[in-house]
Amino acid sequence: MVKFKVRVEVWLKDELVDAEGKTVEEALKDLGYDVSGVRVGKVYIFNVESESSSDVERVVVDICERLLANPVKDKYFVSVLGHEV
Amino acid sequence: MKPKILIIRVAGTNCDSETARALEEAGASVQIVHTKRLIDRLLDLSSFHGLVIPGGFSYGDYVRAGAIWASKLYSKLMDEIVSFADSGKPILGICNGFQVLVEIGLLPGLGEFGLRSISLAPNDSGKFECRWVYLKPNGSNRVFMKYYTPDRIIRMPVAHSEGKFIASNYILKVFEERKLILLRYVMPNGSPAGGVYPFNPNGSYMDIAGICNVDGNVMGLMPHPERATYLWQYPDFTSKIYGELEYAYGDGYWIFKSMCDYIIEEII
Amino acid sequence: MRYEVINIPPEVYIFHISEFSDEELIDLSRSLRLNLNLVELRSIREYFRTKLNRGIFDLELHSFSQLWSEHCRHKVFRGLIVDENGEPIIDDMLKNYIAKATEKCNKPWIVSFLKDNAGIIEFDDTYSIAVKVETHNHPSAIDPFGGAATGVGGVIRDILGVWASPIACIDVLCFGPLDYPMDAIPRGFKHPKYLFRGVVKGIGFYGNNMGIPTVAGAICFDEGYVGNVVVYAGCIGILPTSSYKFSSKPGDKLILMGNSTGRDGIHGASFASSDLKEDSERISRSAVQIPDPVEEEKLRRAIIRIRDEGLASGITDLGGGGLAVAVVEMADRIGGGARVFLDEVHLRESMLPWEIWISESQERMLLMVPSENVDRVLEIAEEEDLKTSVIGELTENPFIDVYYHGTLLCHIETSFLLRPPKARYVAKWYAPKLHEPFFDEPMDYGDLLCKLLSSPNICSREEVIRTYDHEVQGNTVIKPLHGDYGGPSDAVVLKPVSNSWRGVVISVGVKPWYSRIDPYWMAASSIEEALRNNVCVGGRRIAILDNFTWGNPEKPDRLGSLVRAVKACYDFAVGFDVPFISGKDSLYNESPLGPVLETLLITAVGILPDIRRAVTLDFKYAGNPIYLIGLTLPELGGSQYYRLMGYIGSSVPKVDVKSSKRIMELIIEAMDRGYIKACHDISDGGLGVAISEMAISSNFGAEIYLDRVPRVDVNRNDVILFSESNGRFLLEIDKKFEDEFCELVNSYGCNAGRIGFVSKNSRMVIHGLNGNVLIDLEVELLRKCWKGGLKL
Repeated sequence: MVKFKVRVEVWLKDELVDAEGKTVEEALKDLGYDVSGVRVGKVYIFNVESESSSDVERVVVDICERLLANPVKDKYFVSVLGHEV
Repeated sequence: MKPKILIIRVAGTNCDSETARALEEAGASVQIVHTKRLIDRLLDLSSFHGLVIPGGFSYGDYVRAGAIWASKLYSKLMDEIVSFADSGKPILGICNGFQVLVEIGLLPGLGEFGLRSISLAPNDSGKFECRWVYLKPNGSNRVFMKYYTPDRIIRMPVAHSEGKFIASNYILKVFEERKLILLRYVMPNGSPAGGVYPFNPNGSYMDIAGICNVDGNVMGLMPHPERATYLWQYPDFTSKIYGELEYAYGDGYWIFKSMCDYIIEEII
Repeated sequence: MRYEVINIPPEVYIFHISEFSDEELIDLSRSLRLNLNLVELRSIREYFRTKLNRGIFDLELHSFSQLWSEHCRHKVFRGLIVDENGEPIIDDMLKNYIAKATEKCNKPWIVSFLKDNAGIIEFDDTYSIAVKVETHNHPSAIDPFGGAATGVGGVIRDILGVWASPIACIDVLCFGPLDYPMDAIPRGFKHPKYLFRGVVKGIGFYGNNMGIPTVAGAICFDEGYVGNVVVYAGCIGILPTSSYKFSSKPGDKLILMGNSTGRDGIHGASFASSDLKEDSERISRSAVQIPDPVEEEKLRRAIIRIRDEGLASGITDLGGGGLAVAVVEMADRIGGGARVFLDEVHLRESMLPWEIWISESQERMLLMVPSENVDRVLEIAEEEDLKTSVIGELTENPFIDVYYHGTLLCHIETSFLLRPPKARYVAKWYAPKLHEPFFDEPMDYGDLLCKLLSSPNICSREEVIRTYDHEVQGNTVIKPLHGDYGGPSDAVVLKPVSNSWRGVVISVGVKPWYSRIDPYWMAASSIEEALRNNVCVGGRRIAILDNFTWGNPEKPDRLGSLVRAVKACYDFAVGFDVPFISGKDSLYNESPLGPVLETLLITAVGILPDIRRAVTLDFKYAGNPIYLIGLTLPELGGSQYYRLMGYIGSSVPKVDVKSSKRIMELIIEAMDRGYIKACHDISDGGLGVAISEMAISSNFGAEIYLDRVPRVDVNRNDVILFSESNGRFLLEIDKKFEDEFCELVNSYGCNAGRIGFVSKNSRMVIHGLNGNVLIDLEVELLRKCWKGGLKL
């Protein structure tokens, strides 16, 4: 078993309105910055024990589908940052 | 003449009317105004004797609690607010208002302006906490605390997700030396909560629940005094005698009363 | 399928429905996901053949889909119900059971019932109270956080929709057991723990953000909710009675206020009326709703200002079916029609006209405003940072005309859009084959009591309730968690008017476990419990609300049990003389594991003339006598005790209206005379749990003698301790008024037993029938068990 360090990003799907992003965007505009398209997401970093890097991705996708993301409204990106030697 | 106190609000502010009620009970004449009206210069802050920033979830508490409201105040109204505070007029920030005062750097107001040296971080429990707490007030502040005798233990409710007071050891030392800590969470018997949950509901360093600036006229606190203004708001008032409830005030009332007294004695 | 496309742009479809065969109609409904049945489709075809003689626009088809959905028209409650031989059982349950009960009660203090967005009752000479409870089961199953939050948001808008200012939220939630095995969850469904956390977070998020205290509710756990989560969200508001009026007339402008309209929630209403299927996660992507409480907070400010300045002639919220439903219903209310220009609607993204028309974007309200006031309304909206659009006007001509880019895309009579063909359903109730278990009396009662106190359906809800701000607005007098120990208040009391001591009392009754034995007695018990909880703190002049969550009514057994429950609602509302002022049903709660456990939520709203006289459940003084009022019967069917022992049983608690009503009157009089120091109802877990809760909430203990409990046909300690017979109260009586109290009890002719006294030593001591000590435990231990049962 190898310990992998994993990074997961979770975002609301593009077609859904992001109330938080909308509010932040307006606040930034108030401050005089010319910004648009602000979206807010979450980042998770954790370690997982697994046999191979292909297996770890399968496990993390499962983790996302089960808890970290709600596939109905969220999209997510998984990246394996590295592993213990 | 009654103390004229301004309560400001924005989208998501929601404790303004009960705060106004408590202030009026303490003898103030109160106006609740959207921050926009100040920014558009439809109203002059300096025409008021006191300013209260009430609780709520300004702009949904997105980014950090109070951060967006603070950024608006900071960019559009900071000069007015600073000269208001410099003139010795009292400013009280409750819950979200405390978070705003911290975010704009009016608290603790040590050193350079706008410098943020303290923070109200997410609660240790990771949850929103709505509960009554026991507090030990520091009666040495004459603006907000003058009615609290040295041994008094008071009660008020807290209701927040981001109320954990954090500061560096250096700042904490300054706070202690200059007696800037106005409220601390304690056990029901008055001994320090020592960070023990739920008596210290959020994990605040040194059990800090409320502080003031060096001049003592700007105060921020996480508990809600407006929700402890009357005895019937207390969680155990049904154990009281019927007659007591009509005339007696709750612990929170005396902060507003003290603020009004101060305005009458020092400002008007 | 015969159709043509016109390019306005965008492309709009016209279907030559008059020439469609039945098969084509079904095909049409399926391909556009209209969820209309053949009878309804034929009725539309007939209308277009004979009356309009033209093709039907896609926007018109979607209008029918929304307006004729179960969610909007309550086709089951409004329908004809027959038995398996086709003989009528009841026609129009809403009219002939629910509304009829209210009419029979005939209360002069009802301002509005069963017709507007919320039920309204008088509070005092100046103010009225508005109440509404909604279900949001399906959206919460798909996205627990967003579904629950938008459920709260929706019911708050119902309150705003009768010009009331929201003063409290309530929520009742039902989940599968939190320790349910992961691998037994059907594919595509979520684990109860995930749903529980998400839903609780969503409810807190919305209420806390809006600054509306979430004060009351209940949480039930049962296997019957594994595939079907139940989320009831309720809201209570206050309004000056004089501002409740509807004076809209032709020519008044339609103003859409709040969030921009987007593609979210499209088909929500018809989706809510269909079974949850394995693939509902995929199908219903468009049904996900995103909550934005800050937007709604702004709406609240603006609407109350518009109310106080008297600027609008009418108002309604946008819920299921979006603009289509709101506009058509308002047009119907003035007996006219409406002209709507969809180009005017402020949008978030580019959308097809029919999508704009039925979008269920949250945080929007529709106002009817006389032309001369439009500018002022827009000004207020601007001051509160709200977006608005004037989208059209009400008309005398009783047609709904919808334009897009100058093209008329809908022209149908208002009344036809609101009159789906009468539905006919078959109902048959099958009494379950259950029997009473036989087992020896347990040995260790202390252990048993601790187990019950920490069991999921009895233990403290503190973990959840503390995440809800139940104090905001500063008017929560009796809180959901009472005192330093967070005792379980029977009801909450609010003091909504600053210069008045008058209070509003809110309580709920929910007894789903009894459905397994008989939904009739389940409904009766739910009503009785809601009333009893209200009386416990001093509530009187009570009005109630019904909220049904049931399975697929097209299956005769499901409907059979529903009819039994609705019949009980009629019988016991009339019996207790309490009117229904509002209600809602959520049907089609089915999953691969079967139908939802049939659940009726009864919400009771009472009045307390002086909140300083409120009574709570905690013991107040050592030495005061404890009385049990009401009879204990061998009624353990569906009880928490049997559940713990692994049984269901058949002896479901019944309700003796006459005696129960008499007892409630006695309690209120004794309270007003100041005899009662503490009061608690005996409910889930029976006497054993109720007496423990009174001690847990206080610094005292109690000494109890079971042989003094008034009872019939009961001679076992466990039956006395854990029977859930209705109509019973535990009272701590002020020692100095004990004689007067007993006299009063006698004059009322109620059953009462002096079962013990409040003790100083904070131990719970219970003596059995033959005088032996059954239980002798530190109250602190009971408190620990009770408080440790539920983790968020």
